[in-house]
Amino acid sequence: MNLSYRIYYVFLRNLVSYKRFVVPTFLVSLVEPLFYLITFGIGMGAYMGQFGGKPYLYFLVPGVLVSSVMMSSTFECLYGTFVKMIHEKLYDSLIATPVSAEDAVAGDIAWAVFRGLVSGSLMMLVAILMGILPGSLISSLLLLLLMIFVGILFASLAMIVTSVSPSFDFFNYYTELIITPMLFFSGVFFPLDRFPAWMKTLSNFMPLTHAVKISRAVFSGEYESGLILNFLVILVLEMIAFYIGIKMMKKRLIK
Amino acid sequence: MSILVSAKDLVKKFGSLTAVDGISFEIREAECFGFLGPNGAGKTTTVRMIHCVSPVTGGTLIVNGLPAHINNRALKKMTGVIPQEIALDNDLTVYENLIVFAHFFDIPKREAKKRIAELLKFVELEAKRNSKIDALSTGMKRRLLVARALLNNPKLIVADEPTTGLDPQARHLIWQRLRQLKSQGVTLILTTQYMEEAQQLCDRIVIMHQGKILKEGLPSKLVEEEIGREVVEVRIPKEEDEKIIQQLSSFSCGHERVGDTLYFYCRDGQGLMKRLIELDLHNYLTRPATLEDVFLKLTGRGLIE
Repeated sequence: MNLSYRIYYVFLRNLVSYKRFVVPTFLVSLVEPLFYLITFGIGMGAYMGQFGGKPYLYFLVPGVLVSSVMMSSTFECLYGTFVKMIHEKLYDSLIATPVSAEDAVAGDIAWAVFRGLVSGSLMMLVAILMGILPGSLISSLLLLLLMIFVGILFASLAMIVTSVSPSFDFFNYYTELIITPMLFFSGVFFPLDRFPAWMKTLSNFMPLTHAVKISRAVFSGEYESGLILNFLVILVLEMIAFYIGIKMMKKRLIK
Repeated sequence: MSILVSAKDLVKKFGSLTAVDGISFEIREAECFGFLGPNGAGKTTTVRMIHCVSPVTGGTLIVNGLPAHINNRALKKMTGVIPQEIALDNDLTVYENLIVFAHFFDIPKREAKKRIAELLKFVELEAKRNSKIDALSTGMKRRLLVARALLNNPKLIVADEPTTGLDPQARHLIWQRLRQLKSQGVTLILTTQYMEEAQQLCDRIVIMHQGKILKEGLPSKLVEEEIGREVVEVRIPKEEDEKIIQQLSSFSCGHERVGDTLYFYCRDGQGLMKRLIELDLHNYLTRPATLEDVFLKLTGRGLIE
């Protein structure tokens, strides 16, 4: 792994180019959570009654927070990176400078994490404005920290997919067969306890399930010791994905 | 003069395909060294190994005293690359393209700004400073690539077919700039398919074909040695070749038949021309021998795909 501080330069390049897209992406990041919170939270919530003594929105918001991070960082490392690699040949220019292939890929992952963090924080802001408040200020800060870990995980996983992708179409397999089901089987919208046993087992293999559990606990400030295991799953998985993602991208970039 | 790049038995394989097949060459400091060859000859693959973006499969390749390697940041730092493809950052403006690139080389911001102003002047793009890349012509894009390659004050410049697709004005401007850099002591490595470009810029060239070096030398000497001074093209039916060649045998010119044309390669074409007039043959053309003749003679006049 030939990583260096130049990751920051790659991040900076993305930030400079982002200036042009900042308004539309902020709008999307604001409208999407509103859409979720209004349709699911208020619409469905009206039929849901109380969840552990609180309105449904308190159940929904922490899950939607991490899933929006998942979506943003995934899409950035799928489409964003693919365009830069194939259509704009940006990586080819980068690796001819002292920036290594590893720096370039890690820089893009860092950027995707930032995008995820922006989406997640905007979502949190909307929730707060709607009166759905995290347990404490510390909860809010911990949630931001969690978003970073979740972002690294999904950005790195997406990098692995991008490294073997022949075209845009290939991404559909990943988004439709893995990411979308994950959204529904990870306990974001409803609790998992009424699922049959096999589905519960399945959901444990989905990284988002663990992120949602932590997010919900942090949001409410009601911690339990099992969360350490959830966190370890995310940590170990993301270290592996980060390593493999960079290695595989390097293999594609350097011939 | 000291040697900047030295390759010995250099090999590059992509799976079962051998792109560079055991070549050896030396490039001196402050010279312009050209790699000529048809598509797929291995020119680009060779220079990509020199500027450390492609790993060497076999043999040795030393650049500025260090082995070329994809992790050799020191070599990348002293090299400027003008790529074959127009790989500019389309999301950024002309100025942003340069300032972002300056970061990659650790150039401090104040210095970078000064350098960018100089370079935009050098490539005559000052007026386009804040334009988006889409708004530039191909010539402007190529000039911007030249400016970008110079940000780090490179000791070595690798130009991979730098004038592909340009009109004559734009092409001459790039040639002038490259010559100017060479006169400042920069070493220039050029790959090209344009023989005129090689003759305009290069001190020494190698002609590559199918991964091997066929010839090496000074452009003018190669022409003289391989072809002579003049080429006489005679367009006659193939059946008459034998007769004509015999009639012209006293001039000791080399000859070659390709398609509808019989080529004579002569030290002096005057006598041969006179004789052609006497023979009442009109469909001929005489011209000075060029590097293109050498190139075609060595790599074959047929299409290479």
